[in-house]
Amino acid sequence: METTVDTSRIVQFAKLDELLALSRANSLWPLTFGLACCAIEMMAAGGPRFDISRFGAEVFRPSPRQADLMIVAGTVNRKMAPAVKTLYDQMLEPKWVIAMGNCAISGGPFVFPGQYAVVEGVDKLFPVDVFIPGCPPRPEALLEGIMALEEKLTGKRRWPVVTPPK
Amino acid sequence: MNPTLDQLCDQFGRLVATGPSGSRPPSNPPAPDAPPAPIQRTEHAAKGYDLEVTVAPTAVVMAAEIMDRAGFALDAITGVDWIAQEQMEVVYDYFHPTAPGRVAVRTRVPRARPEVPTIAAVYPGANWHERETHDFFGLVFAGHPDLSPFLLPEDATFHPLRKDYQP
Amino acid sequence: MNAVDPTVRPGVNETFVLNLGPQHPAAHGVLRVKMTMDGEYVMRAEPVIGYIHRMHEKMGENRTWAQFLPNTGRIDYLSALHYNHAYVAAVERALKIEVPRRAEFLRVITSEMNRISSHLVWWSAYLIDLGGLTPLLYAFDDREKLLDLLEAVTGSRLTYTYFRFGGVYNDVDEAFVRGTRQFVREFRPRLKMYRDLVTTNIILRKRLEAIGPISAELCRKYGATGPVLRGAGVAYDVRRAEPYSVYPELEFEIPTRREGDSMARYLVHMAELEQSLRIIEQGLDKLPEGPVMGKVPRVLRPPAGDYCFAVEAARGRFMVRLVSDGKDVPYRVKLRTPSFSNLSLFEEASRGMILPDALALMGSLDLVIPDIDR
Repeated sequence: METTVDTSRIVQFAKLDELLALSRANSLWPLTFGLACCAIEMMAAGGPRFDISRFGAEVFRPSPRQADLMIVAGTVNRKMAPAVKTLYDQMLEPKWVIAMGNCAISGGPFVFPGQYAVVEGVDKLFPVDVFIPGCPPRPEALLEGIMALEEKLTGKRRWPVVTPPK
Repeated sequence: MNPTLDQLCDQFGRLVATGPSGSRPPSNPPAPDAPPAPIQRTEHAAKGYDLEVTVAPTAVVMAAEIMDRAGFALDAITGVDWIAQEQMEVVYDYFHPTAPGRVAVRTRVPRARPEVPTIAAVYPGANWHERETHDFFGLVFAGHPDLSPFLLPEDATFHPLRKDYQP
Repeated sequence: MNAVDPTVRPGVNETFVLNLGPQHPAAHGVLRVKMTMDGEYVMRAEPVIGYIHRMHEKMGENRTWAQFLPNTGRIDYLSALHYNHAYVAAVERALKIEVPRRAEFLRVITSEMNRISSHLVWWSAYLIDLGGLTPLLYAFDDREKLLDLLEAVTGSRLTYTYFRFGGVYNDVDEAFVRGTRQFVREFRPRLKMYRDLVTTNIILRKRLEAIGPISAELCRKYGATGPVLRGAGVAYDVRRAEPYSVYPELEFEIPTRREGDSMARYLVHMAELEQSLRIIEQGLDKLPEGPVMGKVPRVLRPPAGDYCFAVEAARGRFMVRLVSDGKDVPYRVKLRTPSFSNLSLFEEASRGMILPDALALMGSLDLVIPDIDR
């Protein structure tokens, strides 16, 4: 007697690109690149309440050779800019950059006429994939940024954007 | 009634009266347009320090030695650019770890030749404070072992806290 | 003394320069230390700073007195309320503004909560430096409870700008008082757990005891304050040396240890957590009714002259020196930060140590690099 087997419950087919994108999105390894205040919120995102490891991203690697996501958390200085660029260059492809906080997006509160030390946004140094505004952004905002990056990689969001009730 | 501060007043009085020229001892009664007395007791609640001493630039090392012998620690070295008066001021703040008393030692140098002797031999901590003040104002601390840029990039040639600084 | 014996290989110089940072997990931010090494021994450790110099003192001259307030929270973001306090109190001193008693008590209560959250971050980061990754998970859990309470009142989790000239900008409600009392109740057993799991742990004790001795005289010569000075045996605390706010009415001890090693500084930090809890309890008990803002002139123009104010921040003595020329923009804002003076003794204190011990010493100094660079 024949029984029908629904093979789609056992075996799935997909394009290799989609599989690679899914695996990369769910295992982003950030570079420990906390520069200033936003770094503390990044550490809090790795803490137990916000738990970045739900998204596979708790493995913060100190070495750029082993990381594929650079979360620029804090102000980039003109003295620091060559070091940041070197770290970006040392990361292997494929790599992504999240600019976390107002300083990384545009220099933040430290831009004033006559300023001499701050690089006005890390995207002046290299391309950025996701911008997370805030001073500092909440850890939930960082997690939302990671989900936006996952959507950029896979084309699908892990779960829908929450719209506040009217 | 603070014996430490009273002793300091005595020692500074001798330094100001007999030390290198630049400040004259206060006259009694003070002339109406005379600059403020070089040694002034101030109200802590009003100013945040108890004693304010103005010395000539060449006397800052002796002033630092007086403070060191009295057991004070160096709090901060502040540079101020009085561009309208064509002077730069350096303020040395001292605090005492075990006795009450906050002392500020001030000196002024001409803006065209801003040079003050270093006190890094008396207080090793002044090394960093003076290097930072040089970064910001271009004040030269004569005898300092290393006045290369500290907070600014290694190749910086500008002094950003000067009032006539243009980026 | 673990210095290298030069008679063993006379005339041989095989030192090399090892660069630590500015990106390094143990650098606590962007600190670079150029270490001249002989094998594993540090011959000379030269800190290079300026990688997070954010021009706070220059911004002080480009902002009105009130516009500079957000900067104060970002100098040392972990103990932002202390830095708020020093700046607003310096301006209040200049303008002779009276602060209502309820506001003073709220300032003290929230500042001490900030001190606890700062020490918890220090503790987590220090243990990570030493190789223990788990205490961060416990400490950040406790810290989140504190941040919930502070966020309900101040609106921020980290870089607070809660204090205003003349008081604080928001009053607290019953929920805050209840929640803070509950936090104090729940935190004391956690302190005991931290002591049993971490402080008495044999690995931590071997890593810290007798490592990095710093004498009281070395602290005085470099102007080091805070737990560094108190771990060297000197009971110096700005809250008692230059009393401010309502601290004279509150009972607390100044924890001091005589050994001067990294373990002493660690134990001073942990003892300060208990003292902060005591202050918070007393503050809540004595919290009076009343307004939270005093009378402040519409336009702020402090009389010409200079004014100083010092507070005991989480890391040590933070002093603000304001120079006013009577305008509505400061003429000069000088920020004397504790981490700057505390790090300045690192070069002398770390000579001859092996690298892991030098890092244990550096972590015990409790550095926040933007506090150094401003």
